[in-house]
Amino acid sequence: MAWTRARRRWAWALALVLAALALAVPLTVARRQEPTPRGTPVNVVLEDFKVGLDAAVVPAGTVRFQIRGQGPTRHELLVVRTDHAPDKLPLQRDGLTVNEDAPGIDLLDEVDGLDIDDRQTLVLRLAPGHYVLYCNLEGHYLGGMHASLAVR
Amino acid sequence: MPRSPSAEVGAASATQRPAAGGRSGVGRLVPRLPILGDLRLGRRLGWVIPVLIVLVAAIVGYNARAIAQQRGSALVVYTAARQRALVERYTKDVLVVVDGFPADPKESGEAMRQPVDVLLDGGSVRAPQGGGSRVEIAPARDWRVRLKLEQDRRLIDELIRTGDRLLDGGRDDPHYAANLTRLRVLSAQLSSVSNDAVQEITQQTEASLSRLVRIEIALGLLSALAALGLGLLLRRAGAEQAAQFRSLVNNSSDLITVLARDGTIAYQSPSVQRMLGRRAADLVGTTLGDLVHPDDQDDVNASLTKLVEAAPGATANFGCRLQHKDGSWRHVESICTNLADDPRVNGLVLNIRDVTEQAALRTSISDLLHNLARRSQGLVDRQLELIDELERNEVDPERLDELFRMDHLATRMRRNVENLIVLSGVDQRRRWRASVPLRDVVEAAVAEVEDYSRVQVAGIHDLTLAGQAASDVAHLLAELVENATSFSSPTTTVEVSGGPTGNGYVLEIEDHGIGMSDIELDEANRRLAEPLAADVAVSRMMGFHVVGRLAARHGIRVQLRHCWFGGVTALVLLPAALLGSAGEHPAMAPPVPAGVMVSPEALLLANATKSGWQPRAHLPLRRHAAPAPNRGGDTDAAAEAGEPVE
Repeated sequence: MAWTRARRRWAWALALVLAALALAVPLTVARRQEPTPRGTPVNVVLEDFKVGLDAAVVPAGTVRFQIRGQGPTRHELLVVRTDHAPDKLPLQRDGLTVNEDAPGIDLLDEVDGLDIDDRQTLVLRLAPGHYVLYCNLEGHYLGGMHASLAVR
Repeated sequence: MPRSPSAEVGAASATQRPAAGGRSGVGRLVPRLPILGDLRLGRRLGWVIPVLIVLVAAIVGYNARAIAQQRGSALVVYTAARQRALVERYTKDVLVVVDGFPADPKESGEAMRQPVDVLLDGGSVRAPQGGGSRVEIAPARDWRVRLKLEQDRRLIDELIRTGDRLLDGGRDDPHYAANLTRLRVLSAQLSSVSNDAVQEITQQTEASLSRLVRIEIALGLLSALAALGLGLLLRRAGAEQAAQFRSLVNNSSDLITVLARDGTIAYQSPSVQRMLGRRAADLVGTTLGDLVHPDDQDDVNASLTKLVEAAPGATANFGCRLQHKDGSWRHVESICTNLADDPRVNGLVLNIRDVTEQAALRTSISDLLHNLARRSQGLVDRQLELIDELERNEVDPERLDELFRMDHLATRMRRNVENLIVLSGVDQRRRWRASVPLRDVVEAAVAEVEDYSRVQVAGIHDLTLAGQAASDVAHLLAELVENATSFSSPTTTVEVSGGPTGNGYVLEIEDHGIGMSDIELDEANRRLAEPLAADVAVSRMMGFHVVGRLAARHGIRVQLRHCWFGGVTALVLLPAALLGSAGEHPAMAPPVPAGVMVSPEALLLANATKSGWQPRAHLPLRRHAAPAPNRGGDTDAAAEAGEPVE
């Protein structure tokens, strides 16, 4: 059967669609199979206005903070090594936020912009000591958004 | 008067153009767009237009939605940002009052609560640049935004409670410091929540607008593609239609000719090569009159002039002869449409059909008809002569009466035969060289009618009729009188009278029948004014055709009218050129006194006096259709004319 011009055109279009599918499927599968980071897992829940941890003490080494924002307000999470009590961190001059540059405060890392239902993982190598996790948005820390973590 | 088959009419000579036909198939589903004109839409084209319309409608709809959303979002952001300022104002008012200065924290507290309520539940807010006008805001729908705003509202309530405690306790309250810190923390938290809500709303607005823009771009691209496809399909459809039209025109056996306003040929279809052996290009710019037979030019010019003066869209039919390149003449019939107001044509469109073969056939039939009629006419004439001899020799009144009846029947047969000769188109009736008294002509016509005793002739002036028209006028009147007697009650009379007019003399034949409808009357008058060629239809309604043809020969006008008392009046206008006479002018001649009964017998047997024809005791039938030129009475002039001429 002789192929008309219209049939050839349809055949080309079909071939292109099949090729696009052949490329897209492996890429999607590959993305789903990302390796899970190792370390001691610690689930952290951020909500107005408190920080919830499922562990108060963890072994030294790699710690994997699996953070989940529960809102309703957007939050951030800072991890500092300090000997201060969680509710006694030094404040800035505005009296509303923690002074991260103050002596005795060693900021290790932070995660920000966690909105409702956002999830993020923070992996840190923690030496033995006392750590405080808090949200340093205006009024959040003073509202009670802090938690203590001991590493041994 | 007549309700005879003769009352039927043929095609009108000038009619309005019929409405354009509809379209079929998918085209019917597509709205008829004025911009497309008469372009027929193919199947594919039929679907492209609705798709394009839907796309354009979607773009317009999305645009409207985007504009509304943008405006609403801007107001929401403004309201959220204003709420933060109100929190700061409330906090400040509380501290000012605690320090002993005047302020109204209650009012600022209410003001602080209002934006959140509006954002959550919907309502009106004052437009930032609206000169005091208020704009409606819809309730927040996104669950994230709603959670944040509800948190905002809880914090405001707590802030107001804390403020109330400060206002109630003052500086002396032991919890003053704690309450003050709590006030500042709550204020900061509210600012944070408000910022968060504003950020969320802004992000969502941006995302929504971005989505809308993407959709609009996609729709725009689709529309452009659809428009491109539509353009291509329209172009193809137009080309196909033009090719189809060209093919139809080129292969048609008919000619399509467009005459410009100046009478020149603006377009000539190529089929003229087949019909007239001429190239279409050679004819463009020439006039149609160059091709028309000289004898037909007046008729063609009259038809075209009449059409040009008619309303746009009117049509007219005419026949003529066109000259072939080899010199022969082709008989054609043309349907002409006035499209002078159509800018695409700007002239008269002639659809010309070659009917040479039909014309030859018609001539052949006419010849056949004429030959047969002539033979019958000869026989009837001989029969009449024989009856005449018998009448002359018969003395028994009863036998004579029977002979008169035979005489009358034979006379009617002869008139029928003469009708056939008239319809055959051949003019071979007897003619007189000299004028004949009009009254004699009328009486002769009445004598040919079977119910002549019901006919009253009165008021005919003393005029003469040109000899060459006498026989035809008598025949014409006989047909009309016959019709009048046939279609009226046997107990009623038919009155024939006459009177002068400015341009001739009018004979009136008036019956007392049931009359005719307006439509029938119009059709009959049209038939009388424009007699058709002989065909089957004509044979069924011979009377009016014969009258029309005879009238046309001599420029006589015949018209039927309603009678005010019922019935129909036939008016026969004899032109002044046919009249002569006893007086110099018809109006000067004394009429026969009204109401005087004039018998047909008088034409043959009675002695005429100068006062008119006298009635006789009995009414024998007259055999001759035309007045006898050699009879006595006041027809001396006719008698002097001698023998009739052919």
